[in-house]
Amino acid sequence: MRRSISAGGLFAAGSLIPVSSRSADQAPGQSVTQSPIQTETRVPATVVDGKVVQPRRELSVLQKTSILIVGGGPAGTAAAFSAKRLGVDVTLVERYGYLGGLATGGLVLGIFPLYDRDKKQVIFGIGEELMKKLDVLKFGIIDRNKAPIYPTIDAEAFKYVLADMLLDSGITAYLDCWGVDAIVDVKGAVKGAVFESKSGRQAILADIVVDASGDGDMYAAAGAAFEKVKTNIGLISRIGNIDEVDMAVGRGSEDPEHPATGKPSDGRPSKGRVNDFGGHAGNSTPAPQVNWLNMKGPVGDALDIADLTAMELKHRRGTWGNVEKLRQKPGNEQVYLAETAPQLGVRLSRLLDGVKKLTVQDIHSGAKFKDVIGYSGAYANAPEFQIPYGSLVPSKVENVLAAGRCISADFEVADITRLIPVCWVTGQAAGLAAALCIQDKCKPRNVNVTKLQNLLHQQGAYLG
Amino acid sequence: MTFLARVPRRVIQLTCFVGAVVLVWPVLPWAIAPRSFVQASPFVALASSIATRSISLGVVVALVVAIASSFKKRWFCLYLCPTGFLLENASHAGLRRAHWWSKCPPVGRYVAILTLVGALAGYPVLLWMDPLCIFSSPFAVNKATNPISVILVCLGLGVLVGATLIFGMLWCVRICPLSGLQDMLFFTRKALWTKLKLSAAPRKFGVARRVFFAGAGGALLAFWARRLGAARYRKSDTLLRPPGAVPEDRFTGLCIRCNNCVHACPSKIIRPDTGHEAGLAGFGAPLIRYESDYKYCLETCNACTQVCPTGALTPLDLPRKNQYVIGEALVDNGLCLTALGKKECDACELACPYDAVKITWDEEQYIAYPVVNDKCTGCGACEVVCPTNPVRAIRVWTQKPA
Repeated sequence: MRRSISAGGLFAAGSLIPVSSRSADQAPGQSVTQSPIQTETRVPATVVDGKVVQPRRELSVLQKTSILIVGGGPAGTAAAFSAKRLGVDVTLVERYGYLGGLATGGLVLGIFPLYDRDKKQVIFGIGEELMKKLDVLKFGIIDRNKAPIYPTIDAEAFKYVLADMLLDSGITAYLDCWGVDAIVDVKGAVKGAVFESKSGRQAILADIVVDASGDGDMYAAAGAAFEKVKTNIGLISRIGNIDEVDMAVGRGSEDPEHPATGKPSDGRPSKGRVNDFGGHAGNSTPAPQVNWLNMKGPVGDALDIADLTAMELKHRRGTWGNVEKLRQKPGNEQVYLAETAPQLGVRLSRLLDGVKKLTVQDIHSGAKFKDVIGYSGAYANAPEFQIPYGSLVPSKVENVLAAGRCISADFEVADITRLIPVCWVTGQAAGLAAALCIQDKCKPRNVNVTKLQNLLHQQGAYLG
Repeated sequence: MTFLARVPRRVIQLTCFVGAVVLVWPVLPWAIAPRSFVQASPFVALASSIATRSISLGVVVALVVAIASSFKKRWFCLYLCPTGFLLENASHAGLRRAHWWSKCPPVGRYVAILTLVGALAGYPVLLWMDPLCIFSSPFAVNKATNPISVILVCLGLGVLVGATLIFGMLWCVRICPLSGLQDMLFFTRKALWTKLKLSAAPRKFGVARRVFFAGAGGALLAFWARRLGAARYRKSDTLLRPPGAVPEDRFTGLCIRCNNCVHACPSKIIRPDTGHEAGLAGFGAPLIRYESDYKYCLETCNACTQVCPTGALTPLDLPRKNQYVIGEALVDNGLCLTALGKKECDACELACPYDAVKITWDEEQYIAYPVVNDKCTGCGACEVVCPTNPVRAIRVWTQKPA
């Protein structure tokens, strides 16, 4: 049975082709079809001489577009919205069934780092717009403009905001669609990407590809140089019926086990037990009595399916165990596990080898870049720092831009640029740069930086 | 002497006063100038050399001063002492009352004796009464981070100026231990020079008795204070001294509250103790507190260890200073944002200059928390970045011997 979604819905009945892709301004000759049946004949993989071989075959071209954005997380959505506003043709592809990536599906609800050392907000633009949309929603966002406390969003509210904006934007979007390969021409320049979905393996041809996949899947497939890193992979959860303990006040000194000013006895594991949650865990969210509970997790390889599987399973078991521990504390008897995040909290996997690699020295020396496209807020001992356009551009492959956590930066810097609001910054810049490539018919590395910065200014971004 | 007699005394005094300010400020790019200035006092040089059982190069100036003073009575006071110059002018401006105290015994000599005997026991009890030390202290005012510190660094000179305005030159003439020491040097030299019989020197029985009591008092006070200091260190959790500090039992005695270390610290983390931390014996002695934003004991700095005139802070070169353990960082996991899953935070790990803090995943507990290893020097880099408020989850505490 097929369900028909009436006008305004994302997909037209009987087809996975979004409504907007059928609009009159679409170039003819693409696979806009009324038939749900694939035109290509599928040829399964075979075993030849003990090796599994995929036969060579032609892929159906799902669409031709100007800008293809792979990944619908904070960077991908920011890129899509900003590029679409310049009137260019934008297609967005997302692996999961919702938009927002780790900010929604990963339950990374804390929007930080937003502020500089002086508690002044340094990230605006698309990110600020999104938060303003959340502002007007009940249970949408809390702790706005309360520096140094960071805002916390609600995942469902944010999914709603992104879906709402996407439907009104005219962006062509494909969800539940996994980008598996890049399409390159004989010179090695990127021409689009290959996707796997319920409709099988299909191609989208594009002039510029923005790799907002987080893992740099597209630029890696296209042959760009990158650094592979491993770091902690966790799984965030939400727990219900729990009171938030305000850390701004500190724990009550009436707690005999932990007087708020006393010397801790459990500083080192060798000296004794490590305290389990002292009766409270996680941080408050817009939803009443619901906390989001971050997890650092062990170090793992985010590009190894065995690691990922092990983490998915063990993290869910561990989270359940911790919630049970939490329930044992008096007053917490009614605490329950509301959900574990649908997506693993992969922090970093691939880091692009870009035109400019953002280094630790850069951020600690307060380096100023001519091609600045935005700021990251201050994080830990690092002050706020500029992000150059060069960190989004691969050093050799053409027609592709990186956005989000997989941009060109040292591991320590990427540990900051991977965070949600910074992904908004790099996403917006990548989207606008891609749009400029279309308008000026140039390569990403030749984009007029002054023009890009003017556009960023027009869209409300902060460049210092 | 003929030359000195011709130049008006005031001109020499003024020159020395300006010279003292230049040294202590320090205007010169000579980092150890403040130390050399205080060390020019023979009282400080002698007592600290006895107490630390070591002699530093800075003592040479003090030796010259001492020899000169033994030939001309109170030569140093009359010509060189910047505190004396200041107080002399204050006395002219102040109430010119009758000097009721002129019949007082010369307390300064007994203070000097008491301190030198104490120094033999490793604890120069009243060395902080040295006038050059008192002069040096208020210059630390620009590194004072709170009003109490401002009061404490200015207290010594303030009290002296105040007392001089009211009582005249009471301090210089009767109480100052440096003038007392000069008197003793002068009399001793004269006694040896003129081959006076020793029995003729103490004309009154009272003098010998006073000398005996001062000496005995110094020894007793020294032993008592050292025992108290050791006990206090065992008890206290937050007694953090600047790098290079000698063990606590001797520190409060060797430290003369010149506040050179407070003045030298670029991070402004050193402050004089109100006595809250180390009692009356520790009043005004430097403590480390990591409170100002992002300021900790920098891995690129050993300034405080270079400016201590008495050796309360051992002079350490940079590598050795970076090995000196101020305290140990300990984590309260009941406050830590990472341990509680509150935030994505690895601030302490990122901030640590010595790789001593690692956010560690505990597979059994299924949480992560910071673990501090033995590389920790207690520099406070982690404490100042820890975002929990007002009590930080990771803080530096006094390290107890294992």
